[in-house]
Amino acid sequence: MIMSGDSLIFEIKRNSLDDGPGIRTVIFFKGCPLSCPWCQNPEGRRPRVDISFDRKKCIGCKTCIKVCKKSALDRHPQYFIEREKCDLCFECADNCPTGALARVGRHIPVQEIVDSVVRDIPFFNTSGGGVTLSGGEATLFMPYASSLLQALKLNGVSTLLETCGHFDFDAFDELMYPWLDAIYYDLKILDPEWHRKICGVPNDRILANFERLHARALKGGVPVLPRIPLVPRLTAVKPNLRALAAYLKKHRVKKLSLLPYNPLWQDKMIMVGMPSAYEQAGWMPERDIKLCRSFFKRFELV
Amino acid sequence: MIPANLPAHVLLQAMAANFNFRPRYRKYLKSTTGWIDFSVGFRTRANTIAQTIRFRGGRAAVRPRVLRDADAVIVFEDDAAFLDMLSHSSEEVMTMMLRNRIRVQGNHLCVLLFYFLMSLIIEELEGNGISLNGRKAARNGNKPGDAFSLPERPAMRRKAVLTTGRTGPGVKYLEDPYLSGYSIEDFPRLGRFLAAHFNTLPEVCPERAKLLTDWYSRHGFEKKRSGEPWIPELRQAHAFKYLMENKQPIIRDEDLIAGTTTTMPIGAVMYPDSQGMFIWPELRTMSTREMNPCRISKHTAKVLHHHVFPFWMRRNIKLWVGEKYDNPLCEQIGDHLVAYILSKSVALSHTIADFPKLLALGTRGIRDEIERELASNGIDKQKRYTLEAMELCLEGVDAYALNLAAHARKLADQELNPARKTELQRLAQICARAPMNPPETLDEAVNAIWIGWVALHMENTNVGLSLGRMDQWLQPFFDADMRKCETPEQRDECIKHAIRLVSCFFLRCTDHIPLSPDVGKHVVGGAPANQAVTLGGVTPDGRDAVNDMTYIFLKVTEMLAIRDPNVNARYHPGVNTDTYLKRLCEVNLVTTASPSMHNDTAVMTSLEEFDYPVEEARDWSSTGCVEPTISGKHIGHTGCMMMNMVAALEMALNNGLHPLMNWEVGPKTGRVDNGAFPDFEDFFNAFKTQFEFLIANAVQYNNYLGEAHSVMRPTPLLSSMISDCIANGKDLTKGGARHNSSGIACIGLADVTDSMLAIKKFVYDDKFITFAELKDAVDSNFKKHAMLHAMIMNKAPRFGTGSQEALDMANRITKITHDAFASHRNFRGGIYTTGFWSMSNHVAFGTLTGALPSGRLAGSPFTPGLTPQACSTSSLLDNIHDVARLDPRNMNNNIAFNIKVVPAAGESHEKSVNDIFSYVKTYFDLGGMQIQLNVVNTETLRDAMAHPENYQNLLVRISGYNAYFTTLTKELQLELIHRAEFGI
Repeated sequence: MIMSGDSLIFEIKRNSLDDGPGIRTVIFFKGCPLSCPWCQNPEGRRPRVDISFDRKKCIGCKTCIKVCKKSALDRHPQYFIEREKCDLCFECADNCPTGALARVGRHIPVQEIVDSVVRDIPFFNTSGGGVTLSGGEATLFMPYASSLLQALKLNGVSTLLETCGHFDFDAFDELMYPWLDAIYYDLKILDPEWHRKICGVPNDRILANFERLHARALKGGVPVLPRIPLVPRLTAVKPNLRALAAYLKKHRVKKLSLLPYNPLWQDKMIMVGMPSAYEQAGWMPERDIKLCRSFFKRFELV
Repeated sequence: MIPANLPAHVLLQAMAANFNFRPRYRKYLKSTTGWIDFSVGFRTRANTIAQTIRFRGGRAAVRPRVLRDADAVIVFEDDAAFLDMLSHSSEEVMTMMLRNRIRVQGNHLCVLLFYFLMSLIIEELEGNGISLNGRKAARNGNKPGDAFSLPERPAMRRKAVLTTGRTGPGVKYLEDPYLSGYSIEDFPRLGRFLAAHFNTLPEVCPERAKLLTDWYSRHGFEKKRSGEPWIPELRQAHAFKYLMENKQPIIRDEDLIAGTTTTMPIGAVMYPDSQGMFIWPELRTMSTREMNPCRISKHTAKVLHHHVFPFWMRRNIKLWVGEKYDNPLCEQIGDHLVAYILSKSVALSHTIADFPKLLALGTRGIRDEIERELASNGIDKQKRYTLEAMELCLEGVDAYALNLAAHARKLADQELNPARKTELQRLAQICARAPMNPPETLDEAVNAIWIGWVALHMENTNVGLSLGRMDQWLQPFFDADMRKCETPEQRDECIKHAIRLVSCFFLRCTDHIPLSPDVGKHVVGGAPANQAVTLGGVTPDGRDAVNDMTYIFLKVTEMLAIRDPNVNARYHPGVNTDTYLKRLCEVNLVTTASPSMHNDTAVMTSLEEFDYPVEEARDWSSTGCVEPTISGKHIGHTGCMMMNMVAALEMALNNGLHPLMNWEVGPKTGRVDNGAFPDFEDFFNAFKTQFEFLIANAVQYNNYLGEAHSVMRPTPLLSSMISDCIANGKDLTKGGARHNSSGIACIGLADVTDSMLAIKKFVYDDKFITFAELKDAVDSNFKKHAMLHAMIMNKAPRFGTGSQEALDMANRITKITHDAFASHRNFRGGIYTTGFWSMSNHVAFGTLTGALPSGRLAGSPFTPGLTPQACSTSSLLDNIHDVARLDPRNMNNNIAFNIKVVPAAGESHEKSVNDIFSYVKTYFDLGGMQIQLNVVNTETLRDAMAHPENYQNLLVRISGYNAYFTTLTKELQLELIHRAEFGI
């Protein structure tokens, strides 16, 4: 867990219709204990400030090259920035006229987030929306997330957490759980070894946390919706889907969500200078999605 | 003679020779009353060309100078413009006028005649394979009569409809107000009407113009045959009555509504007394023009050229002003077409007639009221004439109704199909009763309104004349019909019949289009007559007005998805139900573009300054596009002018010179490169000064045109259907109505606001560059200033981003606009109201405007209505927030806020409806005034550009009105594509 002063937010996205019910503001935390290769927000993986470069926005004015004291720019064929040299002074980003160079991640005081959120309360009210904490992984920053959630609840804002489940349960229970209205809980791979190999950590803690939260939900606690990302060759493989379906059934789960693969993350990898360990360019064909769904016939899919 | 002048002289001589010696040309110089005499001079700005061609007594002569008494002078920007005129089609010449390369002084109608005569010669040369200046001999391949078949509905037209059990207090009979059980398939005849609507090319109808011209030729216009001057009201009334008595009664096969505006299946009504003569140069080409072709038969062209147009070529609203006030400055600016465009020269009848009165009293009851007024003591002569004129007009309406009744009887007698025979017999009964007597049933009421509607359109140009609160006014008749039903089956049939009747009425309303010259595609691109219908809102005593007929009208809107009538829905927060608002959103989703939605509270706040009695304010209706009119009591001519706000900004940047006009027309407010503006306020004031200068001129011109209407075109029939004209004994063109105003559409609010913000930030706050440098960049269209351009695009505050500074600036600009207009009075004694919507002029004006400090590049469109720039934000919420927080009190002629939303693929119908509902409801909760959604994605629009044949019924909202996407110019189509697209 990272203490509150170190919390990093890399995006506040308003008007989201896909991260919970209604119109929502999504707070993206920077840093994640997992390292899933298909991560939809790779710029949110490292728990530290990054610099990103968007080639599509660049007009080639070279202002950045002139102001860079470390001669770190225009040095890398793919990434533009030579990150070993860059000391993250952000002179270049501050002077970039187009925003092609940008800082990723900053500490934002809770009140500043609340101020930007409350303006949209009228939209939350008509649509049944609210705020979603996402990332990265918000549970990496529990003390901060806790203050944020409490402040939001004080303003009557509905809250939702999207999580990978890799957290300390007791801390979570104390700092976050009481101020959440819903949890979207990602389950990726059931086999512990396969999970560790692909996602970088074992899944025993993730599964244990899920089981405890779900048991509470059954007794009227915060609703938990398991979500399974369908990633070709990694999660969307028959043995895994079959095993997940059996696991969920065993725990009397009724409702879940399947997230068909979305390839839009790959450009972002280049922007933050991360090499990709997984190649899958296209969207998932409808027939593959159907096939995946067939494993979960006994569940309500939302 | 100056060298450049020589070819001009030779060419005109050649033209003259053709008309003098070749009978095939000479015959065109003859009208039904003798030779057409006129003369047109030609000169360049620098007088390098100076010629006149004069036609007199059937002979043409050319003089190597500009004659003092020439009817009109064409002024060319330079020699090249003269050559271009020769080598361009008449439509292209009109475009050259828009671009200020050609200007006309004097009688513009004579110039149109000249263009027509010239087109005859060019046509022959082309026929012989001779091309002037590489002119394209082959026109487009669109043959007249090329009919499309009704396409499969585009994929995005949804069929799913929600159901609701919830009703509001006004709904008495509908168990599912959403009427989800009905679809167009249940009404085969409507399907056939709809196919005809999409498959029929409109055709110019000469009937109205010919009958009026016949009458005026016989009885005189300015003076009677006896030499006594005509009282304008009486002259108009006699001619109108003659027109109505002789108008052909037509009932379309299968129709439940009798009468037509024209003799064509879809007719373009000819109003030679307003804009009709603009098609003179196109008489032989308009049926093959690329955009919006309109058929015209040889016979019609002949009648118009030899009979109608020669009569009107010296009688016209605009000409009257030019002659009486000696081509005043305000008219000269107007003629440049880039600072303001006044539709006052076309019509004054952007209003809502008092249909409740017609329904309550019938024409007989209104005539009784007039009789009582005539019988009162001490009425003066003018009042007597005015009232007599109204009576004559109402007699004309009755005569037409009776002719329809007789025709229906005749058709019924001939009809073999028993079901149709019954319908025709019923129509005969209806027309014999209504509109003379108060109707008692829904079919009588709808037919009474339709006959009244046809009559009003025979008197007034079909531009923005609007229908009003049809759901409110028809509900009592639906109620009466339902009460007569005894069984559930009868009740079902009665509801179905109401849907059928209203659908027939909607499809009748599409039987006519405004006649527009080709150049009109830029100014009112693809616009229909814009017959606004208003639904919902509150009753005059403040209760929820949504009733059974509201939902029936919404069902019809959803099923037909046609561009006209222009359906507007009022939503009163706190009074109207969510069920109703959700249905509005659903209909918008299904039709992709209709209805336009209004917040009653905001609109009524905007009207507060007029101190209308509250029950009258609650009875407002949309007019033309979006503008509020107090139903039946108000001549608000809400579409009197299109004002280009950006012109004032360009003049402030150029010390009073307007770049396109190339004319130092405005006050000298200081040179940017001379340090004339030490701080931002100084520059803002320069803008204000230029804007007030343009406003004062536009208003003066509008007032002159208003005066011209009172002389040339009083409207006794409409006057008899607007409150207080009878009691005042005064025609509405003279201010007889209870409430008077004139409404403006201001264009370019976001562009001016963002420009001001960029100037303030980069020049004054950050001192990043000097004003002179910024102006340099703007003047060069940001060439070699890519970095500055990027800075402006990415770092300047903008309207629509949630920036308080930007919002304050927008509110400040709307306020100075409102205050400047409100300080003037119109000819009828009313105030000027200020709106922010644009029809298609955000594209037309944008095309004519250089780059702006906002970062907008030269020639690009302005934003539609007051919509923030597409680049302003990626979040729809910021747009909604900012527009909602504009002060309605500065926007009393309403606004057009366009957003384009696209449901995600595979999203359920219900979720999409709910999402749209959430945005619209919140926008209204936040105080937003009006919103119009396009629910269509860019790929569909692009595909429709590539394959128009598949998308003939693709409905889109431009700014305030609906159009079919395929009828728009490429520029307008691209503007729609480039609008911000928000996924839902």
